[in-house]
Amino acid sequence: METHPKRINKWIPLSFLLIHSVAILIFTRGFLLTRTELPFHSTCSDASLSPCLSPNPPIHHSNSNQNQPKCWTKPVVDRVVIIVLDALRIDFLAPSAFFPEAKPWMDKLTVLQNLAFGNESSAKIFKAFADPPTTSLQRLKGLTTGGLPTFVDVGNSFGAPAIVEDNFINQLVLNGKRLVMMGDDTWTQLFPNQFQKSYPFPSFNVKDLDTVDNGCIEHLFPTLYKDDWDVLIAHFLGVDHAGHIFGVDSMPMINKLEQYNTVLERVVDILESQAGPGGVHENTMLIVMGDHGQTLNGDHGGGTAEEVETTMFAMSTMKHTPSVPPEFDTSSCKQDPEGKQICISSIEQLDFAATLSALLGISFPFGSIGHVNPELYALGSSSLNLDNTKQPAVKEWLKSYVNVLCVNAWQVKRYIDVYSNSSVVGFSSDDMSRISNLYSAAEHHWSNSVKHILMYNDGNEDSTNTSALKAQIAAYLKFFSSVAELARSKWTEFNLSLMITGFGILVISLILQSLAIVHGDNKPYAVSSGLSTGAAFTLFIVLIRACSFLSNSYILEEGKVANFLLATTGLIKLRYSVMRKTMRKEAFVFLAMVSVLRVSIDIGLTKQAATSQFMSSSPTWMLGLAPDHPALTYAIEIAPILSVAALICVLYVAIARTHSEGIWKYVTVGSMLSYFLIALLWASESKIFGFDGLLQVIGGRNIIPQTVYVIGLVQLFLLASAHMFCSGKDKNWGSRTVALVSACSSPVILLSGKQGSMLALAYLLAGYCIMRLEGVERRTKSDGQNKFSKLDSVCVVQWSLLSVCMFFASGHWCAFDGLRYGAAFVGFDEFVLIRQAILLTIETFGFSIILSVFGLPLLIPSHGEKRHQLFQMYMLYGVISATTVTATILCVTIHRRHLMVWGLFAPKFVFDVVGLILTDVLICLASAFYL
Amino acid sequence: MKEAKKKKLEISSGPSTDGSISALGAFVVYLMSGLFLAVGFWLARYKFSVDLVSDPSLTLFLLWSVEFPVVVIIYSFLRKAPEKCSCSKAVGRSILGLISGALISALGAISLGAPVGVQYIPKTIHWSFLMSVFTFVPATAVLGASLTDWHRVFASMKPTGNVECMVLVPAYGAIIGGWFGAWPMPLDWERPWQEWPICVCYGAIGGYIVGQILSLCLMLFLRKDKNLKVA
Repeated sequence: METHPKRINKWIPLSFLLIHSVAILIFTRGFLLTRTELPFHSTCSDASLSPCLSPNPPIHHSNSNQNQPKCWTKPVVDRVVIIVLDALRIDFLAPSAFFPEAKPWMDKLTVLQNLAFGNESSAKIFKAFADPPTTSLQRLKGLTTGGLPTFVDVGNSFGAPAIVEDNFINQLVLNGKRLVMMGDDTWTQLFPNQFQKSYPFPSFNVKDLDTVDNGCIEHLFPTLYKDDWDVLIAHFLGVDHAGHIFGVDSMPMINKLEQYNTVLERVVDILESQAGPGGVHENTMLIVMGDHGQTLNGDHGGGTAEEVETTMFAMSTMKHTPSVPPEFDTSSCKQDPEGKQICISSIEQLDFAATLSALLGISFPFGSIGHVNPELYALGSSSLNLDNTKQPAVKEWLKSYVNVLCVNAWQVKRYIDVYSNSSVVGFSSDDMSRISNLYSAAEHHWSNSVKHILMYNDGNEDSTNTSALKAQIAAYLKFFSSVAELARSKWTEFNLSLMITGFGILVISLILQSLAIVHGDNKPYAVSSGLSTGAAFTLFIVLIRACSFLSNSYILEEGKVANFLLATTGLIKLRYSVMRKTMRKEAFVFLAMVSVLRVSIDIGLTKQAATSQFMSSSPTWMLGLAPDHPALTYAIEIAPILSVAALICVLYVAIARTHSEGIWKYVTVGSMLSYFLIALLWASESKIFGFDGLLQVIGGRNIIPQTVYVIGLVQLFLLASAHMFCSGKDKNWGSRTVALVSACSSPVILLSGKQGSMLALAYLLAGYCIMRLEGVERRTKSDGQNKFSKLDSVCVVQWSLLSVCMFFASGHWCAFDGLRYGAAFVGFDEFVLIRQAILLTIETFGFSIILSVFGLPLLIPSHGEKRHQLFQMYMLYGVISATTVTATILCVTIHRRHLMVWGLFAPKFVFDVVGLILTDVLICLASAFYL
Repeated sequence: MKEAKKKKLEISSGPSTDGSISALGAFVVYLMSGLFLAVGFWLARYKFSVDLVSDPSLTLFLLWSVEFPVVVIIYSFLRKAPEKCSCSKAVGRSILGLISGALISALGAISLGAPVGVQYIPKTIHWSFLMSVFTFVPATAVLGASLTDWHRVFASMKPTGNVECMVLVPAYGAIIGGWFGAWPMPLDWERPWQEWPICVCYGAIGGYIVGQILSLCLMLFLRKDKNLKVA
């Protein structure tokens, strides 16, 4: 049976690697919407490249000679107060007449309603449409950049959330505007340096309804009286938190809304009291807006109507705003209970950055794809009337607006062109040509007729002029809407057919892989009851784990679930070992190691809860000792070094036991040297041992890690060359595995930090127990040592669960803030993307994938038909990994509009997929090395 | 698993030892233990006005302290070799069994992931006492310290006679029920009963009762089997 096709064995893992890659690639194309962040910024001087008129048209030379600097457009408001009420639903602000039925939470913000529907209306309520993902961070990014942030914004913001793309806030700073921020500290994370003054308050505690709001209120009113700012941003979180905790239909929510009503009343009073000529707020715009909506349960993140429909209130302290021509009026009107006509308009949040830039007269953010909203722009344009009273207000406004739209269209077209040329995945050429046609049509119209109307304003032919202007605006709006449509389809809509295709290919590959295993089992003695119970149990565990991924709760606590299943297998093994009266010690040690791992997983979970928005941090365990107890610190310093010493001993024993000769032995000795260096490094880093001076002596703390890396590389090189040149001769399986695993382990332990050595020891012990317990349920005293050379699926499942537990026990979790970026700089000070990414990958997947795949042959009992069995084990390991990934993919497909899709499922998907590909690659390498 | 158990039960057709009991007798025993479980709940509910959700430790304490004497007394009458071992000795060894069983249950629960915080210690202790009453106490009362019997009944699952079946099946039922009872714990339904150890208790009690019913069924089947074999 040794003559089983050797050649084919090596190709099978490779073919599964290819199938998995194709499936994942297809699925990812449909699911993970990516957008490339461009590093370009708009500047004022760019506008001269556009075909549009400069913001100082010749016609106004006579009366606009004030020497204030002009940028792309003429500023029409001086100051802006932006009050963001997080998760403001449309029905919190819009009158209840707009909804089929009045609910208790409606009509609470009466001060804004009265302003908007009052007689002398310079205020308006808008229905604002957010784009998914409707989470605060993504929305703030979308609002300020004028783009559509996706889950993966490929860019330079490696780890840090700060926005590097060009944005409205950045443009304000570039144009010398002074910014003040108060409230949600997400703003200061996104814009760490832009605010002249900021009063951030921590936002992560969802149960706290008042801290952020009270802090906001405390600073808001004094700041409103000052004149040392141009743009004020106040971000209130109470409504969002009240929704998360109590839901929309609750007293705390209504209390919050009533509190906001009094706050806004005072804000409006202050603004109006200072609004006279020469006052601080002579020409100020107040904007009260939500960043996204929420469902009745207070959830948000997805794309349902309740979540994307939010609202915006805008008011100018100058009265007499021009009315918008009916062609561009989006308002919908209803009769209020007293029979008065009340109207609310609508706006896309996409347009916010462009509109505010136009209002303040700064250059538009480079990546903005929104257009200047006519109604919001009109609200601010009352200052235009002061410039020129000869003409009717509407006409004057139209001219100004068409010029703004011209520069806006030019900017959007520039972005689309640059994006398409420089991004990873650009737009299709069909779409590009359609957009270019629309733009060139509009521009043609512009340069042929409208430009002349604007430049040589002779005052006659009013009606044709007006209609030409309106046609021009309509042409631009058509261009904008097709750009927005294209961008939405590219950046916010999943491609379900691609997703299903990818999923289908994965399922097929699973079936093929299972067939590959079963095919290998086609032997006379393989069919027995022992195997079938083991296989059934394996299937049960794997399926339970796969099903657990369908719920977000189990994904959050994945480490605990894996640990629970691992302990269950341990208990079953214990039962069998008691039954067979063998290996009882090993079974108990295994359970003890599982308990050690679970404590480590608990510690990891508390770390995760500290940063996760979905988990409440509940310290499930506590030590009686104070954290800075001297005995504890001493133990923390000394335990890792002792564990390294233990590992060295284990390696020594391994060499001594297997009377191996030649290269394998020297490689293992190299690992011992690496371990010794690691222990030396840790000893010199701690204060206890008095090795502090050592680092200075050998010249910096980077020398030792770099030496360890070099030793590891040399070891791998030796192993590879030895395998190539002496293949076939060497039959000594165990020593080869020990050499390879030990060579890989030293960098992993080094990168994992001090817990690494202890975890490695626990891993080693648990793995040893799994190996000893292998096949214990089939072993009987009678059949002794001969018959269990067939595949024991339970021990592979245990090994795979153990590796999952190791991932969580080493302090990782499936989120990008769970990556330990510090590990990328062990041994290096400067940042080189590829090198640091490799180090980070080794740190993240070191225990859970690299060591576990290479260490798999250690599980094989010391006799039997090894080669074929090893192949089967690798196939089984691959099937287990692929099954979990398939379950994750199914879950992501089902929950693609779930609240947590971007916060939880998508990171989990990315980690799993990267893990699967890495596993497949390593299985290929391992089967090339071992088989 | 169930089939394997049944098969093994069928295989083990050794001569019924002392302390045998009919299916009807087993039913009465189960009825009594179930009744006193209910009494425990009633006591907690109406005398102390607590329940598993509001005060798990006290309720669990009431449950196991009511159930324990009943189980000890009933199973001590069913003990093996009654001529060698007095009733008081059986009671004594079942108290030892209670404590050691609780220790083993607690360790098992902790390795499966039960929380180990200071505030959970009393709950875990009382839970493991209850588990011990379901699993270890009847076994110690019936089997005593005989390791071979323990090994035969629990590890090899080859009970001889109805009494051992009565010990074995509900004990496994309680363990498996507790295992399944742990599954709702991580879910984010924010229900108070998802706390450790409430739903595990419900699972264990449910599993215990299912195990009792199952063992009754087994006894009925087994008796027919035996009759056939005898005939």
